[in-house]
This record gives sequence, structure tokens and C-alpha cells, in this order.
Amino acid sequence: MLEKNTGLHEKFWEIFNNQDRHKIDEFKAYMDKFAVNFNLYKDGNFIEQSLPFDIVPRIISKKEFSKIDKGLQQRVKALNLFLEDLYTDAKIVKEGIIPETFVKEAGGYLEKFVGFSPSQKIRAHINGIDLVKDSANDEWVILEDNLRVPSGASYPLSIRDTYRKIYPDFFETLKIEPIKNYPSYIAESMNYVNTGGINVVLTPGRFNSAYYEHSYLAEKSDAQLVRPHELKVVDKKVYFKNYNGKLIRVGSIYRRTDDDFLDPKFFNPDSLIGVPGLVEAYLAGNVALMNAIGNGVADDKGIYYFVPKMIKYYLGEEPILKNAPTYLPYFEEDRKYVFENMEKLVIKDVAEAGGYGVLFGHEMTALQIEDLKTIIKANPRRFIAQELIEFYDEKCYLNKELQNRKADFRAYVVMAEDVKVWQCGLTRYALEEGNYLVNSSQGGGFKDTWVMEL
Amino acid sequence: MVEQLVTANVATNLYWLGRNLERAKQALYNISKAYDLIIDVDRDAGVKLYKKFDIELKYDNSIDFLHEAIFGEHSANIQETTENARESAIICRHRIDSEAFGEIIELRALFNNIAKNDNEIDYKLIDHAHSLISEIWGALGKREHNNKSDLFIRMGKLVEEADFRLRFNKDETITATVIEEIDAIVQILSDDHEHVAQTQSQSSNTTDLITLVNSKINQIVVE
Repeated sequence: MLEKNTGLHEKFWEIFNNQDRHKIDEFKAYMDKFAVNFNLYKDGNFIEQSLPFDIVPRIISKKEFSKIDKGLQQRVKALNLFLEDLYTDAKIVKEGIIPETFVKEAGGYLEKFVGFSPSQKIRAHINGIDLVKDSANDEWVILEDNLRVPSGASYPLSIRDTYRKIYPDFFETLKIEPIKNYPSYIAESMNYVNTGGINVVLTPGRFNSAYYEHSYLAEKSDAQLVRPHELKVVDKKVYFKNYNGKLIRVGSIYRRTDDDFLDPKFFNPDSLIGVPGLVEAYLAGNVALMNAIGNGVADDKGIYYFVPKMIKYYLGEEPILKNAPTYLPYFEEDRKYVFENMEKLVIKDVAEAGGYGVLFGHEMTALQIEDLKTIIKANPRRFIAQELIEFYDEKCYLNKELQNRKADFRAYVVMAEDVKVWQCGLTRYALEEGNYLVNSSQGGGFKDTWVMEL
Repeated sequence: MVEQLVTANVATNLYWLGRNLERAKQALYNISKAYDLIIDVDRDAGVKLYKKFDIELKYDNSIDFLHEAIFGEHSANIQETTENARESAIICRHRIDSEAFGEIIELRALFNNIAKNDNEIDYKLIDHAHSLISEIWGALGKREHNNKSDLFIRMGKLVEEADFRLRFNKDETITATVIEEIDAIVQILSDDHEHVAQTQSQSSNTTDLITLVNSKINQIVVE
């Protein structure tokens, strides 16, 4: 189902329909030339492929985005307070707002970091919050919080850059929010938490799926792009190894590596993409890590259920943006509801990401549903269930015709002294019509998002 | 002077980007000349050219010569040279001009598409690739001398240029100025190193010169 056309959409189509169609080929050639790549491993082979994209942007009115902006600021503030509290005083657990066992069973909860408070008490520096617009009530709904290593921001930056070059008319005629400030948000956050030294972006390397993005953001935020062995820890301080052998102190690291692989001395000893001794330097307060270690607990799909409660608890406010209606089989009452309504729910494995571990009740056979109930009974903490949200489709120009595809929206929220919501984001659309999974790893593509006013 | 920050890996890839681009450019220029001769003047022009690269090239006719020069199984294979340039460009993308990056991607795609689709090769491909490399150098020049790190690309370009000049016995006085510039860059990049001797610009032995330059670069770039 498509969203109702607004005056903003009409303005877009008015200009688009007057454009030479050959420009679409030029657009695609430009994107290919600048290698907006998404690397992946398939059957043990490294494949470098262009991420599919669509030329028709998602359009959100400035007024509508303003509510998203406020809601996301509120949510990220609460999540950051939750993380800081959880790893220090743990009041939210002591006061029974979130069951202690539920938190401790979260995969991303790292007990070893209890008692440590990072630079400026900021843990959720760069956040990717996934939303969809519910066609039932025209409201934006939060689907997921990504507070570990959210990726994808460079794709809208690249497509916007291409758009402005190939179709300047839109940007000269329409009031579209400019978006080039995203890397400056990152730089601001890095500078704010910096403990003394240079800023670096830590990439696992050339063959990582998001290497393009690491490189892009390092360049644009004026940070050094480094691979793990290009950092060295001496006396609990982190140094950048310059080409001439000099060691330059590092004060802030925007790491694009999961916790488990960050430091082989502390986490996985087999990690080849870690920096030995990094955690010790971090715990000594000698370097800031963006995002903080241990944030995975807030990414947990089960913890997501409690975010509205966190907002009320920490900020004393009602949530501006709602969660998708969610049930935790962990609670008996919810489990009963889930078992009685499996056919209409979406069941998610809390440990999975990227569209994996998502089961749609309406697509399952009776036998599969019974099997799933048995699995849930055995480990109820592992699953959540959500009402299926009929979110809007977006028009996509695919195979030389307009087609409808389900599309979500990842908003980027960056925290420094203040919380800033980027006036853009990553709109991801599904590979096939009717498919609800929009993730790149599921073959989905992306498009630009224009925050506009008349 | 403010410390120039660049990792050894990026510095090395900037250097090799410069070398591979210039290598492709110089080779394409000479291939084009040899191709012209093979048609109706000197069938062995390609053999003579590749002898300078210590490669024994075999071909049946002028078009086959182009095919062998670009895709043949030898160390001066142009497709591989552009592939290597692309790889270096990806690694040090954050250090090079974005237009130049795009052109490098296009350069590699130019040869790869022909290989993939089994299309015929002709002089237009050589001309197109040559122009593309000139554009790349132009785009890279936009940033040249802005940062010390840009000098790594410049140094790679000059080393390759010196190599070709020596192989083709070009005017020694001009070759000497190229080598002097290499020396100047080495000095700038190694301002904290005491043991960077001046290159013997009178050296006419390619292998010796390149070995000497490489040893200096190894002094500059500490892994």
C-alpha cells in the first residue's frame, strides 16, 4: 500500500517527469563508477557487488520529520542513560523496572564492564534506529535500535551526491534539507569524548562488507582510517603507527568492529582484527571508544520491549515514538497470547540480525508453528513476538517501470554534548513486491530520503 | 611542520597507485606506437618493445599484438596493472580525489568488460584508456602538493617515469631532473631520517636505480 500523495510528492514528480530518461542510465553509471559497494562472502568466496539502489527518493515532510527527530532524541537519551545506569548503579534493575535475569541473559551484556563509566558518560554515540510508517494509522513506529556498530550512512550520502550532480534542478527548485553535515556530527562526537590525541576510524580491513563506508566516513570526518595492526597499545595508551614509524597518541576510536573481536587479549583470543591491549587502555580512561563496549545489551530485541519504560523512568516523559506492539514469551501472560495468535505474529530470534531469524506466522504451516512453540517453551528469553505491521510501500523505478516495494527507514542519531538527528537516513526497500525483509543481506536496495517543505 | 599522518599501508598503496597508473600510461603510449608499426612497417615492433621489458611477446598480427599486450600472460599485462591500480585506489580512497577514484574504477572496468564479453580490441580502446589515465592524473593533480601524503603518488609516478626513460634511453639530462625530483620528495617524506643519500643521478642502470629508490622508500615507510 502506498502512502497518500502529498504536495511534496507532486512537486517531485512534476520535475522528474520532465527529465530526460537517459539521465537514469547516467545516474547508474555514476554510482557504479564511484563503487558504492557492499562486499559479502558467499559460499566461502569474496564477492564485491554494487548495492542495488533506486532513483526515486522517499519524501518526508519537514513537519513530519520534526516529530521523528524529537522522538529519536528522546529515545537515544533514554537508551544512553539506561546503559550508563546498567553498568554503574543499575537502579533500573534494582527497582524492578527490568527483571535482572532478563538483562543478564542478554547476549550483549558484559558483566566485566560493570563499574566502568566511559568518557563524558556517553555510550551511544552513533545510533541507527529502524522505523517503519504504519499504514493502519499513519504513524511512524520503531522496529529496532542499533547501538553497536550501525552501518549504512554513507549510502544516502553517496546517492545524494550523485543526485545533486545529475539532477541539480530538484535541489535548486525544492526546499530539501542538505545532508552533508553527517560526518561533522561524527567528528563532533569524536572530539567531545576524545581523551587526548587524534581521532581514528578502526576498520577490520579492505574485505569487510562496509569498507567503503569506513573509508568514506574517515575521509569526511577528517579522521585517520586504520586497520587493527596500525594501532599499538603502550602503557595503556593507544598510538597510531605513522608511515615513518612515529607513534601518535589516539584519543578517540570510531570502531567498526564488534565487541567480541576488538581485543584478542580481552575477548576472542583468535581475533585477527583486534588491537591487543585496547580494552585495558579503554578501562584506564585513556581512549574513547565509539560506540562503547557492552552496548549490545541495548540492541537486544528483548530489551527493546522495555525502551518505553526507560523513557518514562529516566526522563519522566511519555514516548513520542511508539514501539511495534511486542510480546515477550518470557512473561507467562505474553507467552499465552503469543501461542494463541502465532499465525498473525512475527517471531524474532533476539540473537539474530540482518533479517535472519525472522519468522512470519502467516507463512508457517501448523506443524512448523507447533515446533516453534516447543522451541519457545524451552527458551522463552530467546524470542520476541510482534504484531505484523503493514508498513507503507515506496514507489521504486525498477526495470524501467514504477513498482511498489515495502520500505523501512534507518535514522541516524549522533550524540555529543547534544543529541542530533541527521535530516536524512537510509531508506531500504525489499527485493520483491510484498516482501517485508528490506535488509541488504536479504537482497534489498536503498534510496535517498528527502526531508522537504513546501 | 605539522606531522603528516598516513599509515604505512596507505603510503605504500599511494606509491603503487602512482606507479601502476604511470606504468599503464607509458606502456599504452608505446603499445600504440608499436601497433602502428606492426601494421605495415615492422612486424617485429611489438617483439622489440617487449624486449625492453624483458618479455618475449608472441603475436600473429597487429590486433593479436594488442590482445597479448593487454591480456597476455606476462608481468606487463595492462589489465593486471589497472586491476592493481584499482586495488590500491580502494585501499587509499580516503586520500585521493573522488573524481580520480571514479576514473580509476572506470579504467579497470574498460578492460574487464572487454575480457568478460570477449569483445574485440582495437586502437580506440588504447586511445580511450590513455585519455582516461591523463584525466586521472589531472584529477589527482587537483590535490597534489596539498598534503605530504599526495607526494607518495607523485613519487610512484616519477619512479615509473624514470624507469621508462632509462629503458628507452631517453635524454639523460631530462631523466636526471626526474631523478632529482624523486630525491627531493624522498627528502620531504623522510625529514626525520638521517640516512637518505642522494641518488646517483648519473646512474644509467635501470635495475640499480630502481633498487636504490626502493631502498629509500623502505627507509621512509616503516611497517
